[in-house]
Amino acid sequence: MYIRNTNSFTMTYSPELLKGTLKTIVMKLLADNKKMYGYEITQKVKELTRDKIQITEGALYPTLHALEADGLVTTEVEYIGKRVRKYYSLSPAGKAATREKLKEMTNFMDTMIALLEIKPKMA
Amino acid sequence: MYQLNDQQIDLILTDLHQRGIETESMRMNLLDHICILIENHLEEDGDFVKFYSTTIRSFYKEELRELEDEARLLMALDKGRLLLSRNQFFLLLFTLLIGPFITYDLVWMVQVSPGWFIPAEIWVSTIVFALYPLLVLLVLYLTPDRFDPLIPHKAKILLGGRSLIRVLAVDTVR
Repeated sequence: MYIRNTNSFTMTYSPELLKGTLKTIVMKLLADNKKMYGYEITQKVKELTRDKIQITEGALYPTLHALEADGLVTTEVEYIGKRVRKYYSLSPAGKAATREKLKEMTNFMDTMIALLEIKPKMA
Repeated sequence: MYQLNDQQIDLILTDLHQRGIETESMRMNLLDHICILIENHLEEDGDFVKFYSTTIRSFYKEELRELEDEARLLMALDKGRLLLSRNQFFLLLFTLLIGPFITYDLVWMVQVSPGWFIPAEIWVSTIVFALYPLLVLLVLYLTPDRFDPLIPHKAKILLGGRSLIRVLAVDTVR
């Protein structure tokens, strides 16, 4: 449920592999794009990963709500007729947390590369 | 591009509420997301009800309120509330319900009447008062499916916060 893998034309990743990365993905996107709303985030991830990863609504919104409750994101609303669009952006605490998360992720990937003896692709 | 009218938006909002989305913020987020999907993917003369039903079904595994449970779970994990598995919760219930009687007997054995001798009336009262909770727990343990609607198999139990005990019907290992 966390992250929806896509069709058979693209390489897919197991949910176990992707679990735990969602917060980092969302925070990095917000860091790069100033403010975004839910649907926009799902589309951006699809676009950046060339459809290899699709974040499900069932995973995205709980994560955004948790980030908001933790004070890592701030929100502003835009009224579109009868409905409301909620934009998320990183708070100062969120910006610091994003840096930490990215550092942790980079470290983790380096460790995994060393552990699994994966040779980096030559350019 | 399909244009949603106010009546359809109200219908979506009511449906989200009826499906267990209690937080207004979550409802607004989902409403906007669904509206965008409908406007972008439904033909002008398309069937709104059919498209909406299919779309909303893709948001969850078993029920829509999983989204709120997931949000509560994520928030609880960050705030250090106590999160128990089904078995841990039953063990806690057992300790709370039966524990006092066993403790009472032990105290009696150690302080009031040192040794293994406990008067019959103490044994009897222990059995009488502990019997009902013990039976309940035995039924819970032996026929777990019977309690699935109450505490589903993969549910987590969150202790603390505004509601003291909350059953989260989410599978955290997904």
